[in-house]
This record gives sequence, C-alpha cells and structure tokens, in this order.
Amino acid sequence: MAEWNAYYRNEDDEEEQEEGEQSGGDYKITGRDSLVFLVDASKEMFIKGEDGQPSNFDMTMQAVRSVYTSKIISSHRDLMALVFYGTEQSKNPRNSFKHVYVYHDLDEPGAKRVQDVDALQGEKGGQLAAETMGSGETSLGDALWCCANLYSDIKLRLSHKRLMIFTCRDEPHGGNSTKDRQARTKASDLKETGVVIDLMHLMKPGGFDVSIFFRDIVSPPEDESELGLQLEPCDKLEDLKKRVRAKEQKKRAMARLNLCLGEGLNVAVGLYATAVTARKPGAIKLYRETNEPVRSKTRTFHTQTGSLLLPSDIKKAQVYGKKQIVMEKDEVDAIKKFDDPGLLLIGFKPMEKLKLHHHVRPAVFLYPEEGEVKGSACLFSALLTKCSERNVFALCRCISRRNYPPRFVALVPQKEEIDEGKVQITPPGFNVIFLPYADDFRTLDPPQFPTASQTQVDKMKEIISKLRFRYRSDAFENPVIQQHYRNLEALALDMMAPEDVEDLIMPKAEQMDHRLGPLAQEFKDLVYPSDYNPETKPAAKRKTADTGGGAEKKPKVEVSEDELRAHVQNGTMGKLTVPVLKEACKQVGVRTTGTKKQELIDALIARLGS
Amino acid sequence: MAGSKSALVLCMDVGFSMSNSGPGEEPPFELAKKVIQKFVQRQVFAETKDELALVLFGTEDTKNPLALDRQYQHITIHRHLMVADFELLEEIENQIHPESQQADWLDALVVCMDLLQKETKGKKYDRLNIALLTDLNAQSSSDHLDVIIENLKRAGITLQFFLPFPVKDDEEGGGNGGRRSPGHPGTGKGLSMEQKDSVDMMKHIMLTLDEEDGLDQIHTFRNAIEQLRMFKGIERRPMAWPCQLTIGSSLSIRIVGFKAVTEEKLKKIWATVDAQTAQKEDVKRETVYCLDDDNETEVQKDDTIQGFLYGSDIVPFSKVDQDQMKYTHDGKCFAVLGFAKENTVRRHQFMGNQVIKIFAARGDEHAGVALSAVIRALDECKMVAIVRYAYDRRSNPQIGAAFPCIKRDYECLMYVQLPFTEDLRQFTFPSLENNKKFTPSETQLSAVDSLIDSMMLVEEDENGEKRDMLKVHHIPNPAFQRHFQCLHHRAVCPGTPLPPMESWLKAALERPEVISERCQAPLEEMKKKFPLTQVEKKKKLKTSAQIFGKDSEVPDAKKAKGDDEEEEEEYNLADIAEGSVTSVGSVNPDRDFCTLIKRKSLPFGEVCQQLTHRIEQLLGNKNTHYYMKSITCIQAFREQSVKQGNAELYNSYLQSLKRSIPNRGLEVFWDLLVQDAITLISKDEVDGSFVSKNEANQFLVAEEKKEETTAPPAEDTGDFDDLLDMM
Repeated sequence: MAEWNAYYRNEDDEEEQEEGEQSGGDYKITGRDSLVFLVDASKEMFIKGEDGQPSNFDMTMQAVRSVYTSKIISSHRDLMALVFYGTEQSKNPRNSFKHVYVYHDLDEPGAKRVQDVDALQGEKGGQLAAETMGSGETSLGDALWCCANLYSDIKLRLSHKRLMIFTCRDEPHGGNSTKDRQARTKASDLKETGVVIDLMHLMKPGGFDVSIFFRDIVSPPEDESELGLQLEPCDKLEDLKKRVRAKEQKKRAMARLNLCLGEGLNVAVGLYATAVTARKPGAIKLYRETNEPVRSKTRTFHTQTGSLLLPSDIKKAQVYGKKQIVMEKDEVDAIKKFDDPGLLLIGFKPMEKLKLHHHVRPAVFLYPEEGEVKGSACLFSALLTKCSERNVFALCRCISRRNYPPRFVALVPQKEEIDEGKVQITPPGFNVIFLPYADDFRTLDPPQFPTASQTQVDKMKEIISKLRFRYRSDAFENPVIQQHYRNLEALALDMMAPEDVEDLIMPKAEQMDHRLGPLAQEFKDLVYPSDYNPETKPAAKRKTADTGGGAEKKPKVEVSEDELRAHVQNGTMGKLTVPVLKEACKQVGVRTTGTKKQELIDALIARLGS
Repeated sequence: MAGSKSALVLCMDVGFSMSNSGPGEEPPFELAKKVIQKFVQRQVFAETKDELALVLFGTEDTKNPLALDRQYQHITIHRHLMVADFELLEEIENQIHPESQQADWLDALVVCMDLLQKETKGKKYDRLNIALLTDLNAQSSSDHLDVIIENLKRAGITLQFFLPFPVKDDEEGGGNGGRRSPGHPGTGKGLSMEQKDSVDMMKHIMLTLDEEDGLDQIHTFRNAIEQLRMFKGIERRPMAWPCQLTIGSSLSIRIVGFKAVTEEKLKKIWATVDAQTAQKEDVKRETVYCLDDDNETEVQKDDTIQGFLYGSDIVPFSKVDQDQMKYTHDGKCFAVLGFAKENTVRRHQFMGNQVIKIFAARGDEHAGVALSAVIRALDECKMVAIVRYAYDRRSNPQIGAAFPCIKRDYECLMYVQLPFTEDLRQFTFPSLENNKKFTPSETQLSAVDSLIDSMMLVEEDENGEKRDMLKVHHIPNPAFQRHFQCLHHRAVCPGTPLPPMESWLKAALERPEVISERCQAPLEEMKKKFPLTQVEKKKKLKTSAQIFGKDSEVPDAKKAKGDDEEEEEEYNLADIAEGSVTSVGSVNPDRDFCTLIKRKSLPFGEVCQQLTHRIEQLLGNKNTHYYMKSITCIQAFREQSVKQGNAELYNSYLQSLKRSIPNRGLEVFWDLLVQDAITLISKDEVDGSFVSKNEANQFLVAEEKKEETTAPPAEDTGDFDDLLDMM
C-alpha cells in the first residue's frame, strides 16, 4: 500500500490501539485519528514557480485534497481540519486570534470540503484566497494555540493527533524573537498533549533552512536513525499526493484465545485477520423524496393473527425424509457447541504434510498476548523457533468463537523478516491454515490424457521464462472496488466523469505477444495439428464431453395429450424431461409459474388427472 | 437422466434364532436392526435418490407375491422400493420385532430378486443390490442354487451378506465349530449344522458371482455398525466449468475446471416456525423502512433508493446508475498475466474458500497435450502461472495462481485465489527475537524440542514407511455429524432432550491416545520451565465515578450535578493524557490542578504552589489570551480551595497578587478579574477564613477606588520566591 499510510502510522499509534482494544475493541474506545493542516497563507506562498509551475499554495491544496479524498475512503471517521495562518482576515471559534483563519474545523471530511479545497486551487483559487483571507501578519504561536483549541474542543477520544505545517518561509516572524519564543512555547505545549507536529517545507529560493526556527517546533523523529527533516520537501509532498482508495483497517484481534498445549499449560494468543476479501462498502437506504437515510425494522409476526411474535413464540425446523423436525432456538445453538473457544494442540507434523490444495479459508495470524497470560510470549517464541527450526507445523483443533464448531488448523511458523530499512516485512508468529474435512473434498473423475513430450515441455519453458515477473501480493488492485470508489467520488464531487481505472489484472496481451514473438506459434505447431482450432468447440464431441456444462438446447420434443394421460395414469410423469413438460403445459393450456420439475408435474396431473 | 441412483433391498432375518445370544451379548437381531437403522439414517440425511426396499423373513405372516402353494412362507415385503424417509425409520424403530418363525434365506433372496426385477422395470438404476442380514440358521435347500446365481448374474444384481460371525476365506466348509474370534461374540457358540451348510452355499454364491473379491462382501454386524456410524457425507456432483486458458492473444488451450476442495455447508437452513403449530406458513418476517423522525414515519420500500457514504456525506446512487457505471468485463476467463516463482506466492495469502482443478477439455487430446506441456514446464521450473479468473460475466474477476499438480494417474493445474491490495492488512507486530524478556533459554528450547518429539503425528514404522496418525481430511465434519445425530434423535424420540455427543466423534476431536500418553512427561517439564501467570484483567478504563469517587462524598448537594458534567469533560482530557498528569502543566494548568487535587497524590499546598507558579508565568506574557487562562486557573484555585475547606493559601495568594498589580502593569488583567467577580473566600464559605463576606466583596471594589500603590509586603514576595525555589 502507499507509503502515505506507512509514513503516518507510527508505533505509539499501534500501542494506543492495542490498549484501546483491551477495553472491548469498540471503535469509539479505540479513538480516532486526527490531522490538522496548518497552512501558511502569506504572499510568498502564492508566488508562482518558474515556467508556470504551480505556486506553493497550489501544491499544498493539491496535497490537502488528495489526503481528504484518500481519508474519506480509507477511514472517514478520522477528523481533519484546515487552518491558514498569516492571513489578513481572521476566523476562529471565539475569534480570539488574529490572522488565523480556520477554514475547516476539526471534523469528519466530506464532499463539501473537497470542493472547498478544489475552489482554492489554481488562478481562481488564489484570487478566492486573497478575497476571503488575504495575507497579513504572522504569528505562528497564535496559530498553534488556535489549533490546540481545536483539539481541546473535541469531545471524542482521539487516538492519534497530528499537525502538519505547510510553509515556504523558514523565518515566519522575520526575526521577532518574542513571537518566535511564543511559537516555541505553544509548540511544546502541543507536543505535551500528544500532538505530533510535522513540517512540510516547500520550495523556497535559496533553500529552506530548518535549523533557523522550525527545528524547535517540529516533533523529533521517532527513530534515531531517521532524521525526519532531511527528507526533501517534494518527496513528502509526493507521498501526500498519492491517492489511496482502500479502506484502512485497524489492527484488531478477531479473537483472544488460549492455545492449550496440555492440561494447565495455556498460552494466551490473539487471532488477527491479515487478509480479508474487501468488498464494496454497503449501501444505505434513502428516502427517495428527501434523500434522508431510512432505518429498517424487521419484525416477525403471525400470519393469521397478525400479532408480533416474541423469540419464545418461534421455533426452528428442518425437513428431512419428508418429516419436519422441530427444535428450540437454544437447541439449535447448543448443537453447534462442542467446547469452549480455544486452540488445542493435537500434535506436530512435518511441513511436507501440509498440502497445497488443503485450502478452505483464508489464513489468519497468531501472536502471543502477553497482557493476558504472562509468559505467553516466551513460550510462544520458543515454540515458533523450534517449529521453524525443525520444519514442522503444529496441528491444532480450533474453536474460534462461542458456539462455533471445531476446525482443524495447521499453525505454520513464520519468522520475522525485515528489509534494509529495518521495516518489518513479515511479522513473527504462526499463520493459521484451516484444513478441510472429508466432506470438503469433491470426488472428481479426472480425464486421462497423453503427457507432453520433453520438446513440447521445453518450448513451454521458453514461453514461461519470457513471461516471468516478480509477483507481489500487493501489486493488484481490485478493479471492481476501484471503479466503485471513483464513481462515488464523481457523484459526490459533481465531476463530469469518474477517473479512469487501470485494470491491473487484465493481461497485457500486446506486450505479452511482443515478448513471445514467434514462440507462441512454435508451441502451437508442436502440440496442435494444423487443422485444430482451440477457439471453436468441436460440436460432435461436446455432448459426451462434459455432462455438467451442456447448455445446448435440445430439440423440442412433444408428446401427445394421450401419451400424457397415459403417463399420468401410470405415474410415470417423472420420466419426462423438464422441456417436454413445459411444452406439455403449453399444449394443454396449463399456466405454471414454477420451473421445478415437480411443480410442472403437479400442474399437469391436476389438469389431466381429474 | 436424473443422475445415477441405485436400488437396494435390505433383507433381514427376524426369525427366532436371531434372538439367541450368549450371556451379556447383544442378540444378532438387535445388531442387525442397528445396521439397518444406521444405513437408512445415512440415506435419509444424505438425501440420496437411492431407493430402498425392506424384506423381512422369519415372520409369522407371509406377504409376498411368490407365496403360493405353501412356498415362500414367512417372508414379508415390509416396504416396496422407494426413497428412504423417516416413516421407514420409525417403522424400523417401532414395528420390527423378533418373531418366532424361521424361513429359508435362499427363498428370501429369491423374493428380493423378484421385487427388484419387477419394481425397477422401466427405470434406470446404475446399481441393483441386495443386502442379506441373517445368522444363516434356517434350513435351506440348495436345489435351485445354480438357477439363482444365473439369474443374479443376468440381472446384474450384487449381493452383500451381513452375519453375526466372521467368515474366513481360507476356511474349509465349516467342519469344526468352536472358532473363537474376540470381538465377534456371535461366534461364541460355534455354528450349527444348518449354519455350516449355509455358509458353504453363501460362499459358493459369492465366489461364483465374483471369483476374486466375492468374499469381501461378507461383513459382520459389528464391523458394519462401525463403518456406518458416520453420517454420510454430503454428496455434490462436480460441476464442469469449460473455459480457455490463454497466454497472450494467440495461444489458448481448451480447459475445464472443477471445484476440488471447498468448505462444504449444510444444504438446508433452519426455517422459522410458529412454536404452537410448527407451521412455517404461520410466521412472517417483514422489513419496513422508516424515517428517522419522531413519528418513525414508515416509507414504502419502492420509495427508497440506495446511497453510499462519502466521508460525512451520503451520496444517493441508485441501483440503475450503479449498474450502469459499475465495472464490467468480458465474462468467463482464465488468462495468464505472467509466470512467477512458486515461492513468491505465500501459502498464508491464499484467498477465497476453494481450490479449482483445471484439466484439459474432456476428449480433446490436443488440449490435453498442450496443458500437459504447461503443467510439466511449470513443475520443472518451480513456477506458477498468475492468472485472471472470472467465473462468468456476472461475477467479479479474481487474481489467482495456478499451481502445477502431477499425480500418478493424472495431471492438472490447481487454481487458488490470491489477494488484492485492498484485501491485505499490513499489520506489524513487535519483534519476539530482539526482546530479551521473551527470548527463551536453552533449557526452555530443549523442553519444547522434547515436546515436539513426543507429539509427532507422523512416524516411520518398522518398514521405513511414514504413517500419519491423524489424517484430518479423513475426518467427517463433526458439525454435520452432530447436526444429523440431533435431528435424528428429535425425529425418532420427540419430547426428549438432545443426546450427548457420540463418543467416537468426541474422540476424533481429541489427541490420539498414544500421543496424549507420550507427551505427559514433556508437558510436565514444559510446565516447570515456562512459568505462565494469568494477568489480572486490567481494570476497564476508570469511570469518572471511580476516579472522583471520593469527591462525591463531599456533602455539597448543590455542586453535584454541575460538577459531574465538568468532571466528565475533565475525564476525557485525563484520558488523552493517559495518566501523564503528574504536575501542573502549562497547557491546561487549571485542569491539571483539579485532577491532582482530586487524586490527592500530592499535598494540597504543593499543588497550589505549582498552580500559582503557572499563573505567574502566564501573567508574564501580557496578552489577553494568557490573562483568560490565568483567570480560569484562579477560578479553579478558588473552587478547589472551597471544596477542600482551605481558604488561606488562596486568599493570601490573591491578596499578594492584588498588591503586585500596579508594579507589573497588570491592570487590564485585574479588570477582567473584577468582571468575573472573583473574590476572596469568605467565612461564609469556609470556616477557617479570616475574611468576612463583606470584606470579600469589598476586595475587588475597594481596589478600584483606591489609587494608592501599595508595595507588596516583603514576606509575601518572599513566600513566593520560596515557592518558586521549591519547584
């Protein structure tokens, strides 16, 4: 995923989330992220670059817009604000600060805000900015204080607070030491309340000297090895502009369980979903007239009396062997209960016993929960080390939730991997692979074919090596979801047409053909006879070929009414096929809504049998 | 047409010898009945199309079409050929009893054959089978044996025998009785003459029908019950998915895909029925939509459209528009995007819930060779194909990997879905290795080592062959087994509570016994080496009542409500700072002050000193904002002092502050203070105060009139300096 997220998520963020979780994992308790853009609106910001390059202000607005639109999709519950400083006009909650203009208060971003920011872009945007705000005196101290008030006015629990200063002036107060000092004090106040201050210094003729003033304002880099300020200004901005259209997921355990090695030896572990099929966000029902959301209420009532039914008035039933079997709702749940939730170690098996095709569900990730049982991490780590050293997996029985039937799982050890930049690529822990039961296999009747000769295989190898690429699991966006988000964006922002989506999972046929050159033909010459065309279906063979896919329409068969009557009398209607029955229905003028065979038969018997 | 089905006649001996048994043994009759019950149960729950008939022999009555002239006596066709249902199960449960006659089992066999032939006429079955459950204890005449065998062969009917005792194929025709085979109690008494003759005849029949494996179809009741105890797996016919594998635009291979592994679900879901009538029709569920107003005005479903959240906005986006604008594609597709190293596709990143096996189109040899070349080339290069897969036009396309799979008798590609970017959640977890606290010691590691040794499920046996003790993929889904067990119980024994789980099922979900014995010692060792302590659940974030609990004891009725609200807010803030309030800070000195006082971790005096220090700092700035902040501090100071019943510190500070106003040029600030009417604390408010109510009020007013500039008394400033020094 884009670096933007990586850049703006740091470790203490995670810890806070984890802490939040322990009290239930509810969103509200976990807290929301917040981000304030504090943008310099001085004259310098509006100066256009050479060769018609956009002004710094323009670039900033672009970045703000892209962060807004990204956030709207990835985590729209986060709070964002846009504040200008060094303005002529003032606008802030109590209007107690001069030259500070709160354009957007700290709140969830929406379409209106994106449009607002759009309006501030370009030539017209510059004018609009000049009209509404103008450029005036600068007091970064006041601006920071105003931002602090924005934060303190929020009654929600904030998990992460960040403030970004966009400026191209390294000496905002032009050497006024009082104002400098004030700004420093305010900055340290903010940092004290947990706000991380970041500087997005923009291009400035002669270079931007961070050391003059801003070094004391921004938060120190989290990692000693990384000097946050040395990043080139454009790099950071580019990162910001990267659009992310994916819902951001908070790290949250699906379940906290005990991994039981034996009587009295329980290791606390958390299950984490690391790959979950993302879907389009759900639709909301709106009232057509007013576009206001409607709530849905589902109720269960008695068909005859019309009275509402309470859960106690309801039972559950299934029909088997022509008999309806009725159970209480509690019993239905009780049937599913085998044991309390947990993982039970059954034994170990060598890795080669884990078959590739034993796949029924995406894997989950297992990590110790030292906070639940002290000593878990150590035992877990020992188990991990040994399993991976001996190349074995642990076979466990897993009941992931209350009243969930058990499944067997393979705990496959995964060592921690880090890249050159000491960033974790894979976390240490066990991948939990769900194993199939006997019922999950389908019996196939594999067709027999002659195998390919070595020359044929070698030719294919050439093809394969021509089309080699490095697979990365995060390289493919889901075109369905991407299109949906773009459509939504276009509608929300009154755009003429949605942005184009590049379908990354479409084979680049032209490129492939080019790379293959004559190889494809050569291979075909080796395996196919000259008159063979795989595109056309050999009609003759088709019928016997696959029984399941037979979609050809059978020629219409008709039966006379007499024959039908005979069938009805002999009770042999079942022998007739559905198309024949349908035809027969038409013939004798029976209207059926059903398409099931039995329905058709019943209808015919009703007509002819009497 | 309607798929393959088979016809089966269960032919059970209910004659009197079936009730004979040794002491403590279950009579053969009961065992045979169980076999039939289990078998029918399986048929019912698997909802097979197979048809069943039940023929009993040894009955008092005679009911069969061949019963003429005192032939074929004591044989009853209990049920004709039809699909098994609960009625049959109930009949077996309640109507089949041991009876007092004996009948010739060969006669019974003939009745069954006759039934099969008559009732299968004109229908298609792919298997005709007769299962005979008997102790072979009745006299039978072997006169027509050859004719019977001939007929069986001609009609293609297969036979199965279920007996109370085992029959070995190396055995000579009966002879010496008294063979004892543990586990088969029915053999205990040895075989009667009739049985020996019958066994010979049976063997003759079976071996004539199938020379090689004929005797494999002779089972004992015990074994049959063992094998039948599981409910039959759910049968699904594999659906073929014909498509073309394409590489680039010109190379394509005709293929067909089949779901090979997928998480199977129960076919039926629970219907909701009325508790009284048990009728589904009596219950109706209805969803209504209503506006979020006071009246909850109902809105017709047709009057709703759909919308989506876009940030804080809702964007109306009708289904029609959505369909028009949505991503569309060309439909069915299995197109190679490229080839990648097999090890770059991580097992734990498999998505979806199925594995599809891809074969060449049936009957197309050329496609077979072409696909074989792909499979073998991939296998030799240790590569996989990354493909775009779309089931059809309506379904969303996927990205996935096709792995080569070469088996002894066939080759195929195995397709598994892979994740999209959006599906991945890049969580990072703290390292386990670099943390000394979590690093296991050598002895700890070796304890784990011996645990693994003791719990290996795959072992080499004496022949050097690997033996897997627990093949998970051979275990039937316990959820289904339990489900059917309970359903069956409820259907057959209504009104009784659900039965406990069957013991074999329970055992299948536990450690194999060998393992649990073997691992005892290593587990004990592990327990010693790894101390594990349950952490007391951290208290949930404290509620304000808990934090300020002591406060509520202050007997001041007036403040209760207002303060609660305020405290709520303070609590929020305290939360954010998460316990970091250890001294009065410069950001929210008033709140810090209140928190500290309430927490009582520091003496009141000291907290007041910290606060006054901050106030002095704030006033040094000479700016309205700072003045406002100072005033909130002073207000807090005053409030808390009143609460604590300690007016002295506050009053003396305020007095000294007042004295310093002119010197420090803080008149503007003083005006604000006067506006907010922040007075001294009077005797009325706190007993210990030396200031009367009047004096307190005069404190502010008087100053306004008095123009004189009194220098602050030395001791006061001294106090103040001391205060500063102490910090």
